[in-house]
Amino acid sequence: MTQEHRKEKKYGMVIDLDKCTGCGACMVACMAENNVPFKKDETDKLKSITWIRVYKLTNGKPYPNEEICYLPRPCMHCEGHNGHSPCVTVCPAIATDYDRETGIVSQIPTRCFGCRYCMGACPYHARYFNWWDPVWPEGMEKSLSPNVSVRMRGVVEKCTFCFHRYQLASEKAALDGRRELKEEEYQTSCTQACPAGAITFGDLLNKEHAVYHLKKDHRAFRLLERLGTNPKVYYLSSREWVRRSGDNYHPDEKTGEIISHH
Amino acid sequence: MSIVDEKAKEVDAADSPAESHCATSVDDGNGIAGLTILFFIVGFTASLFVGWIVFPKLLYSEKQQPIDFNHAMHMELVDNGCESCHFFRTDGTYSGVPKLAQCIDCHQEVQGDSEHEAVFVEEYVSKGREVPWLIYSRQPDCVFFSHAAHVQLAKMDCVTCHGHIGESTSLKPYEYNRITGYSRDIWGKELKNYLGLKTNTYDRMKMNDCAYCHLEETGRKSSVSTEKDGCFVCHK
Amino acid sequence: MKIDRRCFLSLGIGVAAGTALSPLPWKAMDDSSIWSQNWPWTPVPPDGEITYTDSTCTLCPGGCGITIRKIDHRVVKIEGRKDHPVNHGGICVLGLSGPQLLYGPTRVQSPMKKINGTFRKISWNQALAEITEKLTTLRAEGRSHTVAGIAGSSRGTVSGLLQRFLTAFGSSHFYSPSSMEDSFSQTHIQHQDKKTIPGYDLENSNYILSFGAGIIDGWGSPVRMIQANSAWKTKKIKLVQVEPMLSSTAAKSDQWLPSNPGTEAVLALGFAYVILRESLYDPKAIDDHSDGFKAWGAHILNNYHPDKVAEVTGIDSQTIITIGREFGRAGKPVAICGRGQGRTPVSVAEMNAVHALNVLVGNINKTGGVFTLPEPDYISWPEIVLDATADSGLRARPISMGGEWLHRFPNAVTGNEDGINFLFVANANPCYTLTDTKEAIKAFQKIPFKVSFSSYMDETAKLSDLILPNHTYLERYEDIPVASGLRNHLVGLIKPVVDPLFQTRHTGDVIITMAKSLKGSIEASFPWKDYSECLKTGLGRNWNAFTDKGYLELNYIPEFEEVPRFAFQVPSEIPQIPLEGDESKMGLILIPGDSLRLSSGDIGSPPFVMKTVPDTVLKNNDSLVQINPKTAEKLGLKKNGYAVLKTPRGEKKVKISLSQGIGENVISFPRGLGHTAYDDYLSGKGVNFNELIGPVEDPVSGLDVAWGIRASLTKA
Repeated sequence: MTQEHRKEKKYGMVIDLDKCTGCGACMVACMAENNVPFKKDETDKLKSITWIRVYKLTNGKPYPNEEICYLPRPCMHCEGHNGHSPCVTVCPAIATDYDRETGIVSQIPTRCFGCRYCMGACPYHARYFNWWDPVWPEGMEKSLSPNVSVRMRGVVEKCTFCFHRYQLASEKAALDGRRELKEEEYQTSCTQACPAGAITFGDLLNKEHAVYHLKKDHRAFRLLERLGTNPKVYYLSSREWVRRSGDNYHPDEKTGEIISHH
Repeated sequence: MSIVDEKAKEVDAADSPAESHCATSVDDGNGIAGLTILFFIVGFTASLFVGWIVFPKLLYSEKQQPIDFNHAMHMELVDNGCESCHFFRTDGTYSGVPKLAQCIDCHQEVQGDSEHEAVFVEEYVSKGREVPWLIYSRQPDCVFFSHAAHVQLAKMDCVTCHGHIGESTSLKPYEYNRITGYSRDIWGKELKNYLGLKTNTYDRMKMNDCAYCHLEETGRKSSVSTEKDGCFVCHK
Repeated sequence: MKIDRRCFLSLGIGVAAGTALSPLPWKAMDDSSIWSQNWPWTPVPPDGEITYTDSTCTLCPGGCGITIRKIDHRVVKIEGRKDHPVNHGGICVLGLSGPQLLYGPTRVQSPMKKINGTFRKISWNQALAEITEKLTTLRAEGRSHTVAGIAGSSRGTVSGLLQRFLTAFGSSHFYSPSSMEDSFSQTHIQHQDKKTIPGYDLENSNYILSFGAGIIDGWGSPVRMIQANSAWKTKKIKLVQVEPMLSSTAAKSDQWLPSNPGTEAVLALGFAYVILRESLYDPKAIDDHSDGFKAWGAHILNNYHPDKVAEVTGIDSQTIITIGREFGRAGKPVAICGRGQGRTPVSVAEMNAVHALNVLVGNINKTGGVFTLPEPDYISWPEIVLDATADSGLRARPISMGGEWLHRFPNAVTGNEDGINFLFVANANPCYTLTDTKEAIKAFQKIPFKVSFSSYMDETAKLSDLILPNHTYLERYEDIPVASGLRNHLVGLIKPVVDPLFQTRHTGDVIITMAKSLKGSIEASFPWKDYSECLKTGLGRNWNAFTDKGYLELNYIPEFEEVPRFAFQVPSEIPQIPLEGDESKMGLILIPGDSLRLSSGDIGSPPFVMKTVPDTVLKNNDSLVQINPKTAEKLGLKKNGYAVLKTPRGEKKVKISLSQGIGENVISFPRGLGHTAYDDYLSGKGVNFNELIGPVEDPVSGLDVAWGIRASLTKA
């Protein structure tokens, strides 16, 4: 009963910062999809769980020459060298893992015991620790989705590229006897919600997927590329100061000329 | 050894009536060894008994299903085997245990002379209440199990995981683990399952059983950390 | 034989060995580790069948189509409806948070009556009997004209039923909020008798000149505007934003013109100067569809030289000339206005100045331009029956078509001899949204009996005497007419997605029931069994199309030939609405900074929306005010330090947030905070902007056109 393997994929995202308006729909779409809890005070942003967070970048110039760019930051699903992403390497519990079939970095909250090594290892602040048990006001737990497990105090959580949507789409395909998914069958919640159409999601290895071509756009860059994290989230910006703020550049270095180590 | 003996003597001196016994036992080396072995055997067998017989009895608690159900009889009446009632929805998700709406077609009125059916019609059908079935094979919340992938793609039979429940004429009691709260069908019915041995594929459905089968049957080693199938294949 | 220690030692070893060879320790260890992963206090959402239902979002006037995902009978997610003409699958933070409103703790679960200051649950029969009794008495005493109604909109069947009820009862006291659309209508009303609503064909424009319109900050239909903005980016279409601060719209525009606050109209006329000077206008369109061009043109050329405009607006003359030329030569340019989200109207003078640019380039009722649409008209109801009491009640106050501006409501209570004795509030939260909120609340509390139809315990419901909770938008049928600057009118249908969770009733049904219990001509004016029948028969032959598609497109596409004549009006000396306050005492100008990450309307922000609010806007329970570092230095204010913000209308403690996106002497913070009702996730957080600003009426239209207020900041 040995089965044929699914084609290897690398799911990734291309986010067009020229289009992103910073409206925050991706953040709420993510929270609503993934049963992300909320507290009465969410103004301490270090302790506020937002799997995808919209950062506001500025060019640092005085009025009226200031420029603003919004940058949504999901988990980068780093591939590192052969799947050794920073967080996966340090996890002592195998609670987080790199899946070579999809390129997705998984996070299994039941397995996590909360040492937070992964949070220290992640250079993108994409991981969040549950300092408190989640509490929903009475009745509101009815709005929780059964497709994503609710987490508890003491574990780390992060963006999963809505992997449960991949599972559900695969089930539907299985019923049709298919193993491979079409591009539109598996899309993340944030991609779907984004009113600006700034987020594109798909298989970076598949020529038929939009991301395959978009990642080669001359405006494309990745965050902190020189660390060798090999992230699967690409950004597009026509503004040089934005592209430059994606990494730590020496003043002499030209934007975008980072030599990859892999 | 000698130190122990000296100390023993000191104690014995204070407690004279026991002295002679002590002296005897010191003299009679074989007797001591025999008794020691006897004690060992008693302890050993008793704890084996406790561990293998008493502990499992204590560990599991039984609950009765709200009403009985005759799978075998229903199987004779339907055309499409298990899938007649346990079907796939159009979106590929699995319906699991039938809802009242599916039963109502036939059971609007009492059909046979079963006492349980009468209760079913009276208590549930006419009141529009769902039957709170206890589900033997319910996995923990963190598990995502795709029936479609196993049945439609891998062409597995229901029996492989669920055993011969379809041939049963009445429902067995639902046993759950007092520590974990999960059904005994997941965590192993047979005693030898404790040793990791299974007679039947459906004897136990723990994570290692899933992972084992996935490795054997698919050969996938997509997980970087475990060189087995990826975590997200079954977890959510 | 003697049992000694060695025997017990041996027994112990035996037990240990036996136990080790039994499943006990291993199973117990395994089970304990599984037990440690069980968190019985965290909810396990029950699984079930996934279904999708389409409906319309009502949380803002945008009218987006939504698709509701349910698991069995639970709503678990709201997504944008992919095949909807307004939002094409996109959705905003507020729309996404809908399930939190449905299942949230702010729901009013049954009729409530305030007895000695606290709400008590009462039955629907009791509540309705009490209302009937009160209304019958008022009518018998000849005071029918002192019964008033406030609705969140002047359109749609529920608002229509309330207005109809008041009319049949004998009162013309009907109030609804005004917006940028009303400015447009008023501009056209000044010129001709027909009421006209603007429809902007922005998707097909090729140059966008925005005078402060928060295109991606919630202006018009927010999701549609963001999508239009993305389309412009792809097609490399230029967006020029005129605005005194670096809003998101300004930040994402191709060119930001940081004008002095309040000088938008002057700048618009500066651009008009360039178009006139360089003959970039469309003489035929002007000839065919406007009057007074010559005199107006001469006035502009004499008074709005770019150098002069530059002085007033702070935008240099070269930029004015460049942008003026670009606009004149673009082919399909469009100029829009309505500051921020456009929920507060602009002055007729400003609307005139901006609209003149559109008229000059002849883009009225043309692809990519501005369409002049009539009021949506799709409901056909029988004539209202009026008896003598109703007649005299209506004569006691003259009927103003479409109702009164909501900002005049406090004055109607206090400044009128008869005042208001009885008030209905539907789909509105005036005790939060009205400017000079404290005074508005005082006026509200003077009314002897107030009835709120709110589904949520909002500020107005909290201050009412009786709450008759409506079903939420996920539990009822209703028509939602969407104007919001869309190219075509569209009426969205909302329908029940779940059965009502609580003992709520459709406001439409309640109004019909009240009418029936009042008998006579009032009953005769409501010849429907219930609201469903009223909606269905009111829509007539459109009903089937309406329910099939979930929306109704009113395909009124005006032809270019039908362009309403525009009368160029020579502007008054300075077409600016003066700010309230004494400049010598209050040297700063406070303006609102609208944001999509806060709901500033009737519906308070649900918890998810509050989570997206940046910590430069709200920190703990303090509002932060954006201020230029130079201004802060001058005033001795430090980042994150406390300060007292004072305006002629009020005084609040705030924190300081330094920003290079705002000019000197201008300060700003967003609307939508400072709620005193709703739940702990919203209440008591930050400052309500509306409390610090007061209505300033436009001398021409009477609309509230306050766009800012003088303010001072002192270290606290």
